[in-house]
Amino acid sequence: MTPQLPVLAIKGLRKNFGDLQVLGGIDLTVERGEVVGLIGASGSGKSTLLRCINRLETPSDGAIFLGGEMVGGLGPNLSRRLRDQRRQMAMVFQNFNLWPHRTALENVIEGPVVVQKVPRNTAIARGRAMLRKVGLADREAYYPSQLSGGQQQRVAIARALALEPTLLLFDEPTSALDPELVGEVLRVMTDLAAEGRTMIVVTHEMAFAHEVCTKVVYLENGLVRDAGPPGHIFSTANTATAQFLARYLGQKTSDTPGMTL
Amino acid sequence: MNYEWNFAALARFRGLFLQALGTTISLSIAVIITGMALGLLLTMIRRSSIPVLPWVAVGFIEVVRAVPPLVLLVWIYYCMPILLGFGLSNYHTTVLSLSLYSAAFYSEIFRAGAQSIDRGLVEAGLSVGMNRVHILGRIVGPLAFQRVLPPFVSQCILVIKNTSLGGYIAVQDLLYQGQRVTNEIFRPLEVLTTVALIYIALIVPLSVFANIHEKAYRKRYGL
Repeated sequence: MTPQLPVLAIKGLRKNFGDLQVLGGIDLTVERGEVVGLIGASGSGKSTLLRCINRLETPSDGAIFLGGEMVGGLGPNLSRRLRDQRRQMAMVFQNFNLWPHRTALENVIEGPVVVQKVPRNTAIARGRAMLRKVGLADREAYYPSQLSGGQQQRVAIARALALEPTLLLFDEPTSALDPELVGEVLRVMTDLAAEGRTMIVVTHEMAFAHEVCTKVVYLENGLVRDAGPPGHIFSTANTATAQFLARYLGQKTSDTPGMTL
Repeated sequence: MNYEWNFAALARFRGLFLQALGTTISLSIAVIITGMALGLLLTMIRRSSIPVLPWVAVGFIEVVRAVPPLVLLVWIYYCMPILLGFGLSNYHTTVLSLSLYSAAFYSEIFRAGAQSIDRGLVEAGLSVGMNRVHILGRIVGPLAFQRVLPPFVSQCILVIKNTSLGGYIAVQDLLYQGQRVTNEIFRPLEVLTTVALIYIALIVPLSVFANIHEKAYRKRYGL
């Protein structure tokens, strides 16, 4: 076996909004099959980091490599290459962001048909398979407004999967959901992790980070304060994260009601 | 109040009114299409990141909106030959000036529509690899258009009515021909009533269509 390039490598990533430094030099490597949980307090830069990875935000400094290729790097066909790279890092948003004028299935096949020029029938077959995977085969003709939040987020996951990405990005995928709907989304994500998919998940679901992630990254003030396997991060002996976790779990006494695996 | 209405006197001008109606309709269609296209262009220029150009678009919109349409029409009619060395026919001068005038309003309507679209829906498009044209044509455009349909239809109605200004430079539209008929038979009340009824018959179905469409749209997408 030749050594594989990491799926994603981030080097010295910085991001400022005006005078405000949000990310102060992040280094992070994601190997194939890893499920990386990004945790940290609000304002620690988790979401900005995720948005910089697929360039919904333009980094102020540093570089990101997707499969060894620089994201949004120099050279000809820059914008086309960036679009293709974005497609490879499919994103699931906090607020689902499903297109309201498209049915569930149409949302899922839009990317393959319009961007990848997959023949419509092939895309429909693929889209149906993805909807089945997230347990919504019977909802393909529904418009987003006719679906619950949890169902909408599962359609959004199916939409991301239909792009056949090498990396899945989740930006607080359960934060906008009612507590009783969190579980169904986390279950789908757990299945994806079990399939060996490479994922980066910005999350406040500590049980998910603990049980599903293979690596947890704790951000504080735009810097990686600590990173490692969940056992290391969630160990009570870890002084870097202990305070955050104590404060976090203290607020949320009944930690993650939806999380029943 | 014992005015004796006599609509029968108009009967022999039926052909003339029909022709005038044709002119009004063709003027309206030409102005709506050109005005919309220009309005869309203005909106895109205004939202582009090219330096200076957005200000040119804003300046154009502000100036054109501030001038009464009749002034714009007559000004272009007389000044274009002086400034550019060539003029257009009366009909095309009307199309041009009313298109410029309505473009400013269409542009504002389109801009409001585009601004009302949740940024997240655009980001979702970017995240699946769409380019700007896809995002405009498949997400922002359709959603924004549905949202601005009522003011859009109002603007189209204004265009239809504003075509009557063409009569000022002798374009033979409904109102102009009506005035000629009046001069012939001295029955201004009957003529104006007829002209008004024709405009109503032209415009009311549009409003009804817009209402039906809006309801159907809300129902379809469960909004």
